[in-house]
Amino acid sequence: MNDHKIKNIFVEGAISSQKIAESIQSHSSKKEIGGHSIFLGQVREDVLEAGKVIQIEYTAYVDMALEKMQIIREDVFSKYPLSCMHVYHSLGKVNAGEICLFVFTSSKHRKPAIDACAELVERIKQELPIWGKEILENENSQWKENN
Amino acid sequence: MEQALIRLMCFGMLEEITGFKERQLIGKQDTDQFRIWLNDEFPELQKIDFVIAVNRKLINQNTVLKNEDEVALLPPFSGG
Repeated sequence: MNDHKIKNIFVEGAISSQKIAESIQSHSSKKEIGGHSIFLGQVREDVLEAGKVIQIEYTAYVDMALEKMQIIREDVFSKYPLSCMHVYHSLGKVNAGEICLFVFTSSKHRKPAIDACAELVERIKQELPIWGKEILENENSQWKENN
Repeated sequence: MEQALIRLMCFGMLEEITGFKERQLIGKQDTDQFRIWLNDEFPELQKIDFVIAVNRKLINQNTVLKNEDEVALLPPFSGG
């Protein structure tokens, strides 16, 4: 076990634009930063054979996801010269058009911020035990698959 | 020898297939024995893609089960 405090990444429901704005604002005092990179995942109104997606309901194996995220966080911090890294993921219901994933990296220069952000998004989608159930407009549902 | 009492958890579509989110299970010495029990109990799982985590770590070989271990069945991840 490492002695770093395990950070929570989960937010109930959609991630608000206010939360994103406040997160950006809170970095104005960190004047060594020269570049931020932000990824926002949005629930897509997919039109599937079974119907149109109106909402995704997220569930997770929270304890495992947070332990794994801590490992990813440490890997990415050791690979890139970052000043900051923030990750938020929704749990519960998020409507089409709303934000379900917010990844935010900051560095002295743009390249590490951009590369670290991209790597985090890929690892979050592949390695965190989170599941999305797509709720369709006809009240049916099906389990989302990541490509 | 004392029999291990494990905490068995199902996530995503596996919760719907097995009909439980969490239950206790006794007497499985390792994950190979556990898989045999699982196939007998839920034959429909043989058609489903899933991995097993023991104490929140994915396993890829037979693993001894101890008392109070947390064994989780995880379908393919679809976060983000």
